[in-house]
Amino acid sequence: MNFPLTLSDISLWLAATAIILLVTSELLNSSPEYSSRILIDKTRMRLAAIGCGFAFLVTVIMRVV
Amino acid sequence: MQTNPETPKLASSQIAILLLVSGIALLAVSVFSNSQIICFIGLGLTFWGALFILITPQKHVEGSFLVTSTLPVYMTIDRMLKDLTPKNEAYNIPSYTRDVDLPEYMKGLKEMVTFIPEEHATGMAAIEDLAKGKFLIENPKGLLITPPGIGILNKIEQKRKTDLTKIPLSELDETLPDLLNELYLTKEIKMATNENDVTLQINGSLYKNLYSQEYNLKSINLLGCPLVSAAACAIAKSTGKPTMIQKIKTSPDGKTTTATLKIVQL
Repeated sequence: MNFPLTLSDISLWLAATAIILLVTSELLNSSPEYSSRILIDKTRMRLAAIGCGFAFLVTVIMRVV
Repeated sequence: MQTNPETPKLASSQIAILLLVSGIALLAVSVFSNSQIICFIGLGLTFWGALFILITPQKHVEGSFLVTSTLPVYMTIDRMLKDLTPKNEAYNIPSYTRDVDLPEYMKGLKEMVTFIPEEHATGMAAIEDLAKGKFLIENPKGLLITPPGIGILNKIEQKRKTDLTKIPLSELDETLPDLLNELYLTKEIKMATNENDVTLQINGSLYKNLYSQEYNLKSINLLGCPLVSAAACAIAKSTGKPTMIQKIKTSPDGKTTTATLKIVQL
């Protein structure tokens, strides 16, 4: 009964998620004309994207050290 | 923004909870079965479920409610103006900065007010009347009311943690349209300053219907819609001088509003 993912797996998953979220967040913030019609909290979206990015960096540091 | 406010929130919350629950269940299954693929699927579902719950806005309202909720304010001012026979001008008088300590009897000076003089009145409202927070004043005769755009202005200052008294007019040309655009009340705002005249062009404002003949509001041309009023108040705060709306023009299709404001030199 072990957790099936290694640190490398989580790092890869975080990298993919962070890229998706960061690109989406940037697109939403750069075109307020269109994004104003989308009902999401853009500040929280950006925070989640940055959070994922940092989490990925943390996993990279953990693997290097 | 134009749809029923209840439906999308309910649907997105239900989807988010469904994703979250199934994700957690798959994560648990993956631990027992020691399967990497199931774990990835579970992790993804849990993450996106949690994210959907996190980014769902707490409140949203239909855009047309802005006009219907603002309308009574202008109708009340119209009724007051019927009794006053006003001059065709209104002055937005700047307040003192928030960090200045004023004695209790002068607290009224911390609030922005709009002075609407009577037809034959000359000069500006006296500082004593402003300090006392009066509504009807006698010398010069007129009304002191709260500008309809003060709420928007306060919201901008709170949101960006800025004090507009500290932004010079030369910077306000760029800063103010950005600040107002962030509220998503319009599609686009442009501002141009020429010495004491400021031109404000608003495209696709949610308040555009206030200018329509349907409501036939007289005070709207005097005070402007909340957005124009907020801009006039912001300029008054920035320059420390009263501002006045000279002319408001709307395009035939009603989509563009052009307001000409004047900075009054005392």
